[in-house]
Amino acid sequence: MSRRPLLLGLAGAGLFVAALDAYVVVTLLPAMTGDVGITIENFEQATPIVTGFLAGYVVAMPLLGAYSDARGRIPVYVACLAAFALGSVVTATSGLWSFAQLPWMVAGRFLQGLGGGGLVPLSLALAADLYRGPSRAVALGSVAGLQEAGSVLGPIYGATVTAAAGGLGGWRFVFWLNIALSLLCGAGLLAAGRRQDAMTPAGSVIDWPSALLLGLGLGALVFALYPDDPEHRAVNALFVPGGAVAVVLLGAYAWRQVRKLEPLIPRDLLRSPAFFGTTAANVLIGAALIVTLVDVPIVGRLVFNLEALDSGLLLTQFLIGVPVGAVAGGLIASRIGNRITAIAGMAVSAAAFLQMSSWTANELDLHAGPLRQADLALAVCGLGFGLVIAPLTAGVLALTRGQSHGLATSLVVLARTMGMLVGLSTLTAFGLYRFHQILGTPVLNDTDLRERVKHLERLVGAAFLQEYREIFVIAAALCAAALLVIALSLRPAHKSGGI
Amino acid sequence: MTRILALAMLALVACGGNQSPADSGKILRDSATAMASVRTVSATLKLTKGVVTIKGFRLVSARTAVRMPSDSDTVYTVKQQDVSFALEIVIVGGHVYEHIPFTPLREVTGAEAQAFPDMAKLFDATTGLPAIIPAGTGTRYVASEQLDGKQVDHVSTQYTPEQVRSLLAYLNSSGPVSANLWVRGSDHLIPKAALEGAFGDGGKDAAVEVDISNFNGTVSITSPSP
Repeated sequence: MSRRPLLLGLAGAGLFVAALDAYVVVTLLPAMTGDVGITIENFEQATPIVTGFLAGYVVAMPLLGAYSDARGRIPVYVACLAAFALGSVVTATSGLWSFAQLPWMVAGRFLQGLGGGGLVPLSLALAADLYRGPSRAVALGSVAGLQEAGSVLGPIYGATVTAAAGGLGGWRFVFWLNIALSLLCGAGLLAAGRRQDAMTPAGSVIDWPSALLLGLGLGALVFALYPDDPEHRAVNALFVPGGAVAVVLLGAYAWRQVRKLEPLIPRDLLRSPAFFGTTAANVLIGAALIVTLVDVPIVGRLVFNLEALDSGLLLTQFLIGVPVGAVAGGLIASRIGNRITAIAGMAVSAAAFLQMSSWTANELDLHAGPLRQADLALAVCGLGFGLVIAPLTAGVLALTRGQSHGLATSLVVLARTMGMLVGLSTLTAFGLYRFHQILGTPVLNDTDLRERVKHLERLVGAAFLQEYREIFVIAAALCAAALLVIALSLRPAHKSGGI
Repeated sequence: MTRILALAMLALVACGGNQSPADSGKILRDSATAMASVRTVSATLKLTKGVVTIKGFRLVSARTAVRMPSDSDTVYTVKQQDVSFALEIVIVGGHVYEHIPFTPLREVTGAEAQAFPDMAKLFDATTGLPAIIPAGTGTRYVASEQLDGKQVDHVSTQYTPEQVRSLLAYLNSSGPVSANLWVRGSDHLIPKAALEGAFGDGGKDAAVEVDISNFNGTVSITSPSP
């Protein structure tokens, strides 16, 4: 067997495992938060468990590609896997000791994100090192596809593994499993890639000032968007100063990168409306996509009263829709062009979100023929996202030379992850605020404690339903905004690759 | 839930029916005297083994603040399926209030109010835990240890189901309850206790750990709005 597919396969497997963990917690959050002392009335405190991972992911992604130029792809990749595994250990042990509570869990998730985020540029760079010519695009596409697939499969993976490993630590088993998987991938890469690093040129070092600016900027952004008192306000009390600090720090980071990366990102690309349009569209798509990945399982748990596994399985139709849409998107774009295809994809997802905004508590009982209406809406929503992913990625690749495909694909993933981070933080803050507004302070006069709690559950379920209906409307608006950006910024080409 | 908390409090007063050569009986008698003098105290309890449910809710942990002679504020963290929520019971001025998440404090009366454990009574010098100190059996001095930087005497003892029930009538362990107590050498107060016995659901084994702090310090007990 050739060494190249083995190396790429192992790197892709590690990346896939790390990408799974981005949203693996969505269906596990109630159990995880309970074990670190967070109760339903303080659920906003759970937000950093998801955003912590994304922040680490975004910080590491733009930094470690260049670092691996100096240190070698595989050693840096294995170091990232080790960081990811260490973060998994920290996360898995949360709640086991009095000192290992929420901050411990968030630290573990951040460390996981740092390691996992580093794997994206490293896998892409490794693919670019290993392959030349037409094979390179296929290799890069495979790596990007694994990252995307891991992200969207995460919630259902977490629920399934937890259900299967009920006697082995429940949710903790998901994170313990990461250690074995990381060891397998890391050991395989070290064994198969001994000669690889000798070929890697030296030269670059890690840009610590940029890392600091990006890390602190994202930290300030997540802090500014953290809902510290959702009962009384939608944003943090320090939203304005925190947001200002974030803008300054992230602006400084961008300024450094524009200057520093000019040789890497062609000037033409930076000035291209299509590039900015695609990046902006990906940010918006990331924000809308996170609504489905995170909020649909939560609706399943809190509104439809599904078990963890069933709430994860609620995403199945969405997950089927995405790859079907991706394949269809590629085919359609080759006939009618990337712009129209991407616009159609966003229109389809927006329409699906609008349908979801009318969901009721008994939505799962409503059928259209043999299919549940909710499943249909989710499948259509996934189809729309699938339709748009391929044309946008192909469009960015068409703007860059072959040797920059890795960078370009990495930027697409980065933009989408950034959109997910900001979208999740913002919509969680909004959602919790609206939840408290809708629920108010109900007075329960049932005669028995059990009955009062049941009564409250019904009220909470109704409030959550209304909250998520509004979030689905916002998601539809995000899709519409992405549609508009695509329509305004991309050229009406007639073939795939020319946006 | 009530059973567990009472058992936890019982651990504070483990006694030395069978004195060991290491003066375990004296250690516990001194601790009983010290605990009887407590006017305010805070405690946290964590279920470390087994399942204990009350009214369909599975107990995870509890924390309480007590102000003698009769006030207490206890927050029980319970689970329904795997969603955790906090149920707060405030007993102040002879009134019992319940706080369910997202709702205002609500006064509970009659039999339902009586069903909630009165944590302050557990520390009553004449009828509570200090009063039953001599009731333990098989008391044994385990070791001198360090806990939070302070020297403590680790003592183990055991209670019969009848002794447990004598504290609160509805406590219903199907077998003996073993207790491990850590008694501070300086003031004889008990900062930590661990209990294990057949007090779980269906008479199955369960275990709890209790950390006690803030002896005679300032405690915050929520008062309902006038």
